[in-house]
Parts: sequence; C-alpha cells; structure tokens
Amino acid sequence: MARYGMALDYKNCINCKACEVACKEENGVWLGADKYRIWVGVKEIEGEYPLLSIASSTFYPGQCMQCENAPCQDVCPTNATYYDENGVVRVDADKCILCTYCINACPYDARYIDERTLTVDKCTFCSDTRLARGLTTTACQNTCPTKVRTFGDLDDPNSEISQLLMNREYKQMKSNLGTKPKLFYLL
Amino acid sequence: MEVEISRRRFLQGSVALSIVGGTALSTTNLLSSESKSSVRLEPTKTSTGRADEIPYLCGMCVNKCAGFARVEDGIVTKLDPNPYFPKSRNMLCPRGNAGIQTLYDPDRLKYPLIRIGKRGDGKYKRVSWGEAYNAILNGTDKFKGIVQILDEEKDNRATIGYCNGEGLSKEGFEELVGLKMGSPNYVDEISICLETTLGGYFSTIGTYGESDLNNADYLVIAGANRAEAIITPDTMDMFKRTRGRGLKTIVLDPRFTNTAAKADRWYAVNPGTDLAFVLALTYVVMKENLYDEDFVSKYTVGFDDYKKHILSNKYTPEWASKLTNIPADEIYKTAKEFMAAEHPIYYQGRRSVFAKNDFQLRRAQAIFQGLSGNLDKKGGIIYGKKLALPKEDVNSPMYAQARGRFDSKGVAIAADKTGSWIIFRNMVLEGTAPYPVRAMFMRKHNPMSGVPNTTKTEEFLRKMDLNVMIDILPSDTAMFADVILPEASYLERTSPVVSYGSLEPAIVQRRAAVKPLYETKTPEVIFGELGEKLSKPLWENTLKYDEDVQDDTKGMNPQELKKYYKENGFDLGEPWKKSVEEKNRESVVKAYGKKAWETLEEKGVYYPNMDTYHKQLDVNTYEYYPDNKKNYTTKKDKLKVICNFKNLAKKGVDPMPTWKREYEFSVPEGKFRLVTGRHAQFTHSGTTNNAMLRDLIPTNYIWVNKRVANKRGIKFGDMLEVSSSVGKISLKAYPTEKIAPNQIFMLHGFGGTSKGMELAYGNGGNDARIIEDKFEPVYGAAVMHETNVEIRKV
Repeated sequence: MARYGMALDYKNCINCKACEVACKEENGVWLGADKYRIWVGVKEIEGEYPLLSIASSTFYPGQCMQCENAPCQDVCPTNATYYDENGVVRVDADKCILCTYCINACPYDARYIDERTLTVDKCTFCSDTRLARGLTTTACQNTCPTKVRTFGDLDDPNSEISQLLMNREYKQMKSNLGTKPKLFYLL
Repeated sequence: MEVEISRRRFLQGSVALSIVGGTALSTTNLLSSESKSSVRLEPTKTSTGRADEIPYLCGMCVNKCAGFARVEDGIVTKLDPNPYFPKSRNMLCPRGNAGIQTLYDPDRLKYPLIRIGKRGDGKYKRVSWGEAYNAILNGTDKFKGIVQILDEEKDNRATIGYCNGEGLSKEGFEELVGLKMGSPNYVDEISICLETTLGGYFSTIGTYGESDLNNADYLVIAGANRAEAIITPDTMDMFKRTRGRGLKTIVLDPRFTNTAAKADRWYAVNPGTDLAFVLALTYVVMKENLYDEDFVSKYTVGFDDYKKHILSNKYTPEWASKLTNIPADEIYKTAKEFMAAEHPIYYQGRRSVFAKNDFQLRRAQAIFQGLSGNLDKKGGIIYGKKLALPKEDVNSPMYAQARGRFDSKGVAIAADKTGSWIIFRNMVLEGTAPYPVRAMFMRKHNPMSGVPNTTKTEEFLRKMDLNVMIDILPSDTAMFADVILPEASYLERTSPVVSYGSLEPAIVQRRAAVKPLYETKTPEVIFGELGEKLSKPLWENTLKYDEDVQDDTKGMNPQELKKYYKENGFDLGEPWKKSVEEKNRESVVKAYGKKAWETLEEKGVYYPNMDTYHKQLDVNTYEYYPDNKKNYTTKKDKLKVICNFKNLAKKGVDPMPTWKREYEFSVPEGKFRLVTGRHAQFTHSGTTNNAMLRDLIPTNYIWVNKRVANKRGIKFGDMLEVSSSVGKISLKAYPTEKIAPNQIFMLHGFGGTSKGMELAYGNGGNDARIIEDKFEPVYGAAVMHETNVEIRKV
C-alpha cells in the first residue's frame, strides 16, 4: 500500500517526447495520432519575429493527474474507474461500457478510447507492467533525457518525492476544481 | 497556472487524418510485404514474466547511447536506458525508445536482391547470398560485374567509389573497400556534416573537445539545437540548469527552436553571419582588455597579430549589428558577461556546414573560448581521456595501377580520407575526373537525401556500371543499386567494442539482443564473405596488369605465389575470419582482464574501478567517477590556442578569421532563404519509416512567417511548391512567427521516393532536391544554408 504521486521538474522538459514513446512501448499503447497516455503541452508562440515571448513557449508535460478526488471516478456509472490500493486511478476494462462520461468529466483530457478493447484507457503509473515487476520507476521517468519526473510514495516522508515537495515550491493543475491532483509541477 | 494542458497536441489534431494509411503497392514488388498496414507491429505491453536484459548500444543516430533490450520469448518488447554508461547516463530519447519499430519494420530488406528492372523502378529478384555475391563479381544481363570493370580499367582500383554513413561497422567497410580492395575514393557523411567544425577546432585548440556543461555557468550556443538535435551528455546536462538555474544561456538561431525556448536570450541572427557576431565579441574583449591575460600569455600563438587584426578591421558591435540583425548593445553585453563569468562556454556546435565561412567561424569561436582561459579545466571545454584498446593492423595490399583521389579541385585542404561528396560526384558526373569511376559500393548511406542536389546524385548513380548497397531498408539510394545485400539491424548484431573517450571514459559494447531476422547478415559477416568471394578473381586481375606484382612474383612456383598472396594481403576476407564476438573478447581481456570482460558482457559498459566508482545518487542521478578522478585537466602545459595560423595562408586560407563582403546575408525581393534542421524525433532519412516516430511527427511542414502567409493567403496545411535553381518539391505549410519573413524552414530527411518504404514514400519534401550544390573553400564540405527559393501555393 502506497499513495503514489509524481513531481515534475517541468522546466527541464525539451518536448522530445521520449516519455511518450517509452510509455507506448512499455504499456502496449496502440499507435494513432490521438492514442497516447502522456504528452507534452505546447502553445504557438506569442509575439512577432524577432520579438518573441520565450516564456510563452514553455513545455508542459502532461498525463493523468491521478486525482485523489477524481471527477472521472465520480461519473462512472459502472464503477469501472476505481482507485487501486496505491491510490492510482485505474480502469477495469471488464466493467467499462464505453459511455465516455469519464472522458468528458476529466478536466485534464487525460483519457482516450483504446480501439482494440473498446474501453477507456489512461495512464496507470505503469502499475501492471513495471510496478508489477517490482520496479520503482515509471517508463516515462526512467527514460527522460533531462530527468523531469520523480515518481514515488507520498505517504513515505523519506521518499524522494516527499522530500522534493517539502523543499521545493510547486503547483498543481486546476487545483481550484477540488480534484486534488497527485502530479506536482515544481517551480 | 494559466496554461491549458490539453491532449490536443499542437499541430497534431488538425493533421491526424492525412497521415493514416499508405500507398498500395503491387504484390510483385519484392521490396514490400503484402498488406503491410496489417503486419506493422503495434507496441506490445511488457509482461511480468521471464525476460532477458541484453546490453546494447543504440543505432538510431550517431550518439550510441547505451540501453538494455528486454527480450521476451525471443521478441524485443522494450528498450530501457542503461545506467552504467557515463555518456548517456540512463536515458533514451524518443528515437532510442522507438528502435523496436525499426527492428520489426515490415519494409525491412529481408533477402539479397538483384535488379531486374530499370534503375530506380524498384523491380528486384530475390536471390541467395551466393547468387548476390556472384552478381557483384560477374554482373548479369542488366549490369556489369566488378571483375569486368576492373579488367577494362586495367586494375585501376580507383574506378571503385564507396560510401558509408556513421556507425560502429563503418570502419570495417573502409577496411574492405579501401584498404583491401584498394579504392581511394571514399566519401562519407563528414563532408555533408561537421567537417569544418572539427577542422576549425582541431586547427585552433588541438581538439573538438567536450563542453563540461554540468559545471559551466554561461553558455553561448549558436546554430546548434541541443533540445532537438539530441547529443548525449550535452542535452541532458544543459537543460537541467537553464532558465535561471545556474547556466545562463544565449541562443543564436535564425529560427526559434526548442533550444531557443530554453534560452535566457535568443538572438534571431541572419543566416551565415555568426562569424561577424564572434568577431564583434572578440573586438569588445580586445578593446577593453577583458581577456584572461595570464592564460593568453602562456598558451596563445599569434595573439598580438590577432588583436591588431581585430581592432584594425574595426569589427565593432555596431558593424556586426547591421550584418547579423543583433543589436550592438546586446553584443557588448554578451561579450562582457562571457568574460565576467567564471566558467563560460562558447558551444562548439556540431551540425552541418551552413555557410561558406564556417571553418573561419569555428576558428573564431575556439579562439574566443581561449581568450576566456576556460579551456582544459572544469566548467570549460575539456580534452578528456580515452581508455586504450588494442588495435589490429590490416594487411593491405599495394596496387600499382590504382590511381589517387581527385576531389580536392577548388579547395584548399584535401581531405585525403573522406573527400568531398559534392566535388567527387560532380566531377564524375561532368566527366572531369582524371579516370572513369564506374562502380559504387555503398553501405548505410543515403546520398539521395543527404547530398545537396538530388537530381545530380541520381544522374551520378545512373552513370555507374555497378552499384552495390548494404542496408536495412530500401532507401531512395538503394533503389539505384544493382545488388542489394540486407543487413542485420543494430539490435540483431554484436558490434566491434568501442572506447568512449571523455571526461569520464568508458569501454562499451553492443550485444545482439536477437538473432538476425529473415535472411539478413551482420555487416562483419558480409564483409568477410564478400571479401573472400572477391579475393581470387581480383588477384588474377592484379597479376594481369600490375607490373610491381608481376616483377615480385616472376618465376614463383604455385606454393610461393600462394605465400606471396597471403603475406601481401590479397586475401581480402582475412580480417573477418574471426567473429566480432571473438575479437571483442580477446581485445578486452588482453587490455583489462577477464573480469572486465565479464562486466562488459553483463552491463554493456566497463571502466577501471567501475565497481567502486559507480553509484546511484538519487532516483534519477548516477555518479560514474568521483569528481577528483574526472579528466577535467589533461593538457596542462601542452595547451595551445593558435590565433594566427600562418601555414593556412600558404594554402590560400585566411590565417586569422576575417569577414568578407561575400559573407553578407541578402535575399532578393520575393524570394526566401531556405534553412533546414532537425527534430528530436527523427534522424535524417533513416527513421522516416519508423511507425512510432511517424506517430509523433507525421510529415515535414514548411515554416512560413505568419504575416507573409496571411498576405499570400497561405493557411496551415496548404500545399506549397518550393523551388530553387536545382529543383522543386511540395510540402504543407505551417505559418508561424518562429521564422523570419525572408526565410523558410523545413525538417531534413523527408520526401522519400522509394516505394519500398511505405510510410516514408511521398511524404513531405526532400530538402536535398532544392539545396544548391555549393561547397565551402577549405575542405569542399556542402554548404546547406545558401540557397534562395520561391514558394507558390499549389
């Protein structure tokens, strides 16, 4: 039993998408432009050449926020979406009826339809692959060239993620919605 | 936080529909597998069951990062980073992660092929390896064999040209075709890549060096794009400390790159004018005596001449401002900040030669670095060390009839080993070479995409009597081969062990994760077999024409003749009699002992004291050497910074970096300057058929300034025709402010014409088709950013 979360040194992100590929290979995510569990958010730059806003082109690595109060779980009519013993928001494919309520409810747009199984898929923190094999890192964290991510147990005060959150300032995405996301963007 | 995080990735949403599906191919085409869309392997989830973890070195680009291949039931299911290698420090980039899709690409070359149609039409016959080797020797009704060609050329081995792209087996190919078969006419990626950078740095500070970005505190990075052209360890070290976190970063680039997105300041420099910027920085430093006087007096050569040269030419920031598009006060500021910083680095850069003054630019950069004194020390440009490995000598025969290379016409310094692709090709094509070049032996190289002016490359390949290609995919260039030999990809082969020299040196080995698929063979097996096949017939030809050999062997009995043949290296397959595995083992055991070999086999990496030095510091960080064991300072009193290089003047090259009027940037009204570059997701044309990577970057767009696009009614996704004096291509528009109104940008590597590569075929535009074949004057290296183009909506 743990309470898994992830801290992101997002300023390190260079938008190379190694995380996305590692995730797809590890978890067997099918290819196709909209089929992915994690991504890097980018906006078109502001300003006119050559006076461009460097700050407007910051890269934001994104994925399921593993909310403690997850809207996707609230709206699921069949309880296909559930919290596992480590607080990871998971989808029970056998119970999913593809009503897509969860896709609409998620404020982070973190869910998509897996066309093989015709169920909803999302980031699982590699629970059924790497963690199941006893590893302590997710695929995205492990491969990252600039080491954006630190994954770990928020309930363990000695874990590196707990230490980071004690010592660094951070933000959570759309925390005003009361979702209590467990992804922490380090400032 | 204000930013909306959306899974609608920028660009991706609007183009998703256009990338699905491929071109239907006739089933008679042996290059393609039938109904490929259905066999293209989707990523499979890794299991929790038993798996082998095989250490390997990545082959998706030139970096050679280390990884472990997870192999389940004989299938590679995942590639993970290797935490033991100090160069790649437990990371794999998107390409490295996507290597599985290259290994299992259904378009792979699977069997030896012989051309039965016309060159370029993709019609081939599947044959056995023996038949393929025989075809190289004796030809078919469609093409001549090498025996006949060498007979007609009276054993002039220089009638064979050869080329090979970067990689661990490249040296073996050079040994076979160069040293053993006797061809001097080798061209590789250097003359279309960083030749002048290497030359400029070596001739100035004696090394290309390594930037110690972990300890630097100020960085000027010009024209290099480490966020997108990933180099380990530079990319990893750099971006952990940018944006107010210890490494102040000044980026110069004509376009706004992902590296610029990480800068403290980005200067939109005019293409080809970086030299004026560096000269002006130097002016400020000389004028205000900001340089490290102690260092300068000890280690520079011709400093006073250079100071006088810079000051008397009045290379002021005001002068440079007009040329570069960078405000003068910014140049003053950068020069002063640089010299005030404790560990400043003017990053060497890698990338292609963009402008004809590139050699002088690199000299100016290297000297400027020297002025700061931040050389051969922690936080500066360091020289590093290499762990020695025994090297085997190649017994190469002498061919009296073989003539020398010729492609140094019009250049100052002949690059004897690697030549100049453009000059070599053009002289052969125009018939100005001193003798006919009639055969090309090619491996892992795609000049149709890499060498400017594709039309000429195509004509050059058509002019040959024999083209042989060894590769893993049917590239555009392979489509002009008469014989195609399918090679095992990097995950299917053990490669020659390498010593990686640096601040933290190590020995690394790529081990085969799986056996070669289909009927492919590893490069070294191919070299050995081909060498063996060629030996006797080519020896006969030498006996027939080579007077030196005739004199030497006059009156010899068969026994003596056999001995002569062996002793003088005419047995061409001899270097590959031992397997790569055997050679690696012998070499490492000899140098470092049996235990070192076992470590290397298990971990993929070995260096002395690794077991005590290597530590995990936290979940993301490893230490490879204790700080006091790193090779920060290795040169000491041997250090030299050559400001005035008098010998260069004898060859007609400016002995000190000098600005010339012809370097000025200008674009005629209505035209655009073409700039090209890379993304982190692709390595040139080599990865454009990778399904995983194509999922990330569906095609190459042409960047057009937004205001220009508005004026011309160009919208995102509109098809544009781009034309220059040498050709035209079409690709889709991406209007953006990240590019200047008088420039356009496109990714390199797209626009494939080989129908054997389903995903790459016809997708986007090939920049080499429109880049004019200009070369710089020092080595004859291709100049990539001096072509003006027109654009037109179609």
